[in-house]
Amino acid sequence: MTARKSGSRLETEIERCRSEGQWDKIPELVRQLSAKLISNDDLGELLLGEAKLQQYLKENPIKQGASPRGIRPKLVEVRKHLTAALDRGNLKPDYMQEASMLMAKLNYVEGDYQEAISQYSRVGLDEMQLVGAPVYRLSMIAEAYATKGLCLEKVPTASPSLSNRNTDREQEIITCYEKSGDIALLYLQEVEKALSAGMQNRSPKPGPVTQEQELGYFLETGLQRAHVIHFKNGNLTRGVGRFREILRAVETRTTQNLRMTIARQLAEILLRGMCEQSYWNPLEDPPPHSPLNDPLRQGSYTKDYTLSRRPRVYTGENLFCPQENTEEALLLLLISESMANRDAVLSRIPEHNNDRIISLQSASVVYDLLTIALGRRGQYEMLSECLERAMKFAFEEFHLWYQFALSLMAAGKSARAVKVLKECIRLKPDDPTIPLLAVKLCIGTLHWLEEGERFAKMVVDMGEKASEFRAKGYLAIGLVYSLRATDASLRGMQEEYQKKALGAFQRAQSLSPTDHLAAFYLALQLAVSRQIPEALGYVRQALQLQGDDVHSLHLLALLLSAQKHYHDALNIIEMALSEYPENFILLFTKVKLETLCRGPEEALLTCKHMLQIWKSCYNLTNPSDSGRGSSLLDRAIADRRQLNTMTLPDFSDPETGSVHATSMAASRVEQALSEVASSLQSSAPKQGPLHPWMTLAQIWLHAAEVYIGMGKPTEATACTQEAANLFPMSHNVLFMKGQVAELRGNVDEAKRWYEEALSISPTHVKTMQRLGLILHQLQRYSLAEKILRDAVQVNSTAHDVWNSLGEVLQAQGNDDAATECFLTALELEASSPILPFTIIPRAL
Amino acid sequence: MVSGTLPETAISSYAASLKEKASLVPALYKVIRENFSDLLEPVCHQLFEFYRSGEPCLQHFTLQFLPELVWSYLSVTSGRDPRCSGCIEALLLGIYNLEIVDKDGQSKVLSFTVPSLSKPSVYHEPSTIGSLALTEGALSNHGQTRVVYSGPHLQRETFTAQNRFQVLTFLLLCYNAALSYMSSPSLQSLCQLSSRVCICGYPRQQLRRYKGISTRMTVSSEFLVQLITGIHYALCNGESDLGSKALEDVLYRAQLELFPEPLLVGNAIKSSLHGAAVKSNKEGTRSIQVEITPTASRISRNAVTSLSIRGHRWKRHESLENSTDSPDSGPVGPIPEISVTGVSGERVANGEALRNRPEGQPLGGADSGADSRAEPGDAVDLASPDELMEIAEVDEGFCSQVVGGSPPSILISSTPTGGAKSAAKSQRRAGGGKGSRAEAQSESGRDQLSHKPAGGRAMSENLELLSLKRLTLTASQSAPKAGSLSLSRTASAVFSRSFEQVSNALSGGSSAQSHTHTSSSLSAPETNRYSACSLQEERLALAAEHKQRSPSISIHLSTDL
Repeated sequence: MTARKSGSRLETEIERCRSEGQWDKIPELVRQLSAKLISNDDLGELLLGEAKLQQYLKENPIKQGASPRGIRPKLVEVRKHLTAALDRGNLKPDYMQEASMLMAKLNYVEGDYQEAISQYSRVGLDEMQLVGAPVYRLSMIAEAYATKGLCLEKVPTASPSLSNRNTDREQEIITCYEKSGDIALLYLQEVEKALSAGMQNRSPKPGPVTQEQELGYFLETGLQRAHVIHFKNGNLTRGVGRFREILRAVETRTTQNLRMTIARQLAEILLRGMCEQSYWNPLEDPPPHSPLNDPLRQGSYTKDYTLSRRPRVYTGENLFCPQENTEEALLLLLISESMANRDAVLSRIPEHNNDRIISLQSASVVYDLLTIALGRRGQYEMLSECLERAMKFAFEEFHLWYQFALSLMAAGKSARAVKVLKECIRLKPDDPTIPLLAVKLCIGTLHWLEEGERFAKMVVDMGEKASEFRAKGYLAIGLVYSLRATDASLRGMQEEYQKKALGAFQRAQSLSPTDHLAAFYLALQLAVSRQIPEALGYVRQALQLQGDDVHSLHLLALLLSAQKHYHDALNIIEMALSEYPENFILLFTKVKLETLCRGPEEALLTCKHMLQIWKSCYNLTNPSDSGRGSSLLDRAIADRRQLNTMTLPDFSDPETGSVHATSMAASRVEQALSEVASSLQSSAPKQGPLHPWMTLAQIWLHAAEVYIGMGKPTEATACTQEAANLFPMSHNVLFMKGQVAELRGNVDEAKRWYEEALSISPTHVKTMQRLGLILHQLQRYSLAEKILRDAVQVNSTAHDVWNSLGEVLQAQGNDDAATECFLTALELEASSPILPFTIIPRAL
Repeated sequence: MVSGTLPETAISSYAASLKEKASLVPALYKVIRENFSDLLEPVCHQLFEFYRSGEPCLQHFTLQFLPELVWSYLSVTSGRDPRCSGCIEALLLGIYNLEIVDKDGQSKVLSFTVPSLSKPSVYHEPSTIGSLALTEGALSNHGQTRVVYSGPHLQRETFTAQNRFQVLTFLLLCYNAALSYMSSPSLQSLCQLSSRVCICGYPRQQLRRYKGISTRMTVSSEFLVQLITGIHYALCNGESDLGSKALEDVLYRAQLELFPEPLLVGNAIKSSLHGAAVKSNKEGTRSIQVEITPTASRISRNAVTSLSIRGHRWKRHESLENSTDSPDSGPVGPIPEISVTGVSGERVANGEALRNRPEGQPLGGADSGADSRAEPGDAVDLASPDELMEIAEVDEGFCSQVVGGSPPSILISSTPTGGAKSAAKSQRRAGGGKGSRAEAQSESGRDQLSHKPAGGRAMSENLELLSLKRLTLTASQSAPKAGSLSLSRTASAVFSRSFEQVSNALSGGSSAQSHTHTSSSLSAPETNRYSACSLQEERLALAAEHKQRSPSISIHLSTDL
């Protein structure tokens, strides 16, 4: 009994060594085995033959694509063992089969393909049992199929036969490989199961702890050759199908690398070679007539085999199954990414240089594909999160840094984008695009003008090297100066910056005379410094270059209004509106012009029209859904961001322009306060991006202003209330309430509203002017003077402020200064547009 | 051409026979190109009829001319000679108006699901992926989210300057959805369209020797992205020459326009094709090639990788837990800690390495990575190193322990636990972003309670805690919407609180909060220069403070190696 018991223990030990590929232990075990029973000798021969063959292959691995090299002296011994085992015929049938398979493999290694094939046909591979077979035999069968496939590929078809014979042969080869692959996957799963069971059972496990198993040439071939052939034959649908079969099999430690590669390759195919209409999902059968398959090679390979046992696949309820090529590509790439990321080589010592390069390459391919997939779908927020994870590879890697910066920029995370762009500039100081991108961000949402200036100077300093970007550089620096001029609180500073801006725009325009933007900004700058005729010249030039540029048309209209040609201006606006019917900035200007030219009734009609447009534009898209952000935090930020990027004129805050530093802060505070205030009400404004709601509030306020002009306080109040429902703490709303109160003759109330408006936006010139006038009425002259002087500091071209200041000074008896003020007001009024020029957005 | 009179069944065979007529397609291209031909109107009409039939083959037949039609339309409009583009315009608008609605006439909304590794799929099981990057974004996406990428769109009667590129972008989207069905002349025409739209009127036009119109055409960023998508397909499917030229041209234009989106996608395509197995073999149009690749890891075993170092860390961490009074646990012994792992997953008990070097000396040493930022002249703003830290912060492995108790302190560590020899490694490694990070650490000294970055981190963690809690509550409902909504509400409430402080700062009152603010470190005139980012940080700090007082939750997320 004991002998038997130890015998079976020995057998399991042998089985384990065979399935785990520990060939070096076999000879010792065989010696023990032979000691037990004579009849084990044949088995011993088999085992020794196998062990020696495997050992040989381990030491002399066959390279992919290389042919085996004929008879080797070392293999003679193997052949001897195997022949001995086979010839005596004492083996159990199972072992006989094994010996034959090994023999065939030996024949292949020695280059005798024909003999190998006939050996396999004798064994009858297809009849071999998979259910209940020991683990090592699964591997043997998988290898046998792969080897058979290899042999069939090597041996030419007997006769120069018909083409259908050829396709039959190809079908047979592919079937061999596919079977081999399936069984190999099954084998690997079983090995892993056995290993983990073994780990739990045997406490101190003898031998090396789970060394990573290597697949070896035959299994590798079996797993991959089938799809390689499919793709070579232009049979994309079958190739993709094969990829999916491999990927759906439950992962094992050994297949991780394979899965990573295949997942990436499949993603590549999905992105490069497929489209939405030719896609079919992984659980469907491929369409019978797919445009993906090479029409010239109509050999339709169908999967026509079944195995008694298949590798386990991922199962469960609610499994996510992609329904679209981008979805599948993304899923695959995320899986690859998690693996690539895990393999990131962190050490920087020179010995690991190669490893680092390999890990970097495999990761950056994945990140590039992720970029392509997410970029197509506009998911830049998610992309920036993914690329952030790539940063562990990014040390001194320009491409990764640059892509990360661009993704941040596209996702609207401007502040971080600028920081990352700085690193990009350090890595590639000669590229003018990078600092220009940074300037674009700085003068846009961020309003970091000093920083912007520095970036713009980088481009300008590149000189000739920047070639076509040189003009852009001057344009950028001009814009920075222009914005700084608007921000500056001292007149001297303002003028200096304006002069600098003008110079830069002139330079840009001379460098790139065909760029309409250069001409346009030159015109805008001239207009801001009230050189109306010159500005008209350049805006015409801009329009010649780009006839339907909305900002040029708008500027032209404003310039005409500055020359008091209101009807012409209105015509221009209407023309522009025919091309840009939904442009609210144009519509706001139109309201103003109509009030002057055609009376308030017309203007009210336009307001109504605006409301209709608003409804059709924003009701269609439910604003709360259109946030494309991938995460809540981003979405929250994106909402604030939209508030700041608003290119709408800051209504009744025209003097300071739309992107004034203080007004930006004010609008943030106002927004936050409004949020708090409205959360107290039951009819809170809807969630979602603010832009549409801001626009709506603006429309109501414009209507209110028109009503005030008509002297109808009730209607004006109603309109103001509509806006107040949306933004109760907006300084614009408060200002309008003050105006209504004034219209009603309620000076104290008006004063209170104005003061509240100023507490939110301390540099709101219009409010300052009205408050100054009220104080004047209340005969508090010095305070009125103070406020009006502040207002003039903020905006020195507001003629009505000068006028009010004059009145206050006159009332104080300071006639000389008052005259001065009146003259200034008069002079400014002569060149004053209907709305300030600075409502036109300035951006790169 | 009388598809209307054919019986239903005959349509598809007619469609198939259209393909056979070899001379028809080139003839149609000629008609569209000439633009003034008398045949243009009936051709456009017929193409529209084909499209309207709904038969896929006929629709593809029409779609193949789309690039040519778009070019024809654009070249006429830019020449400001709207005489003859009428029927092409009508055709394009017709297709657009057909495509923006579904069968029932409702506005079509194109959406797709963003897959998430935290949900099992046909290809993976979340547990085997290991610990995921638990960013706030990842959590809010817990479970897949459907994202709308196009639509709903308005019906358009006419082209205007405002809607032109919206319509054309959508049309290209439709074209791209059928790319596999497009013939190579169509792909070539797409490449030509891309090149010409992008270079006309620019100096590069001479380089390409294209003589046609020479006025610049306005483009939109989304339009360029759609062009690139098509070009990518063309590049990989037999049109590598034209395709790579077109890609270059689009990138050139995107650079000039400073559009990040097409630059991003275009660069990625360029870099992924570099050295990829795309061969321009003429005979087989589908030239996707795959080779057998070795399955063994190509990375040598002794290299320190994210994975290997993570295993390392855990061992260390456990020992840390066991012996709180060990010297490693830092100056503040038994204080509850949140340990955060850095860039590369390395983690050390506080400032182990820092202790050994003089204060203020950058860790990067002589490494070039650190010195550009180390220049005092480059004092752009205070947040700079921290921002970079944030960038470097994402890591899949993170562990957080919030063990209840008052004054919560946050320890951030920045040296690897690689043992004695890794100290030398860390010197080399600490370049670039890491260098500056180490710098920040060394500046704040060893008893660092560097609040701001820590706040940022703690915030993200706490958000995670919060949403994790929520997830467990709503796990069965699988209703991420509900969870995320209330999360956002919390966030916005906190946000508006932070605004009170901004307004305090604005009105001159200094915030007397216990934690340090970004705002208080800025000088008064600069307070109004709040970027969205700094506001966010502010909020983070606040939220962090909030949450640490809440009942302690301890999660332990780890990779089981």
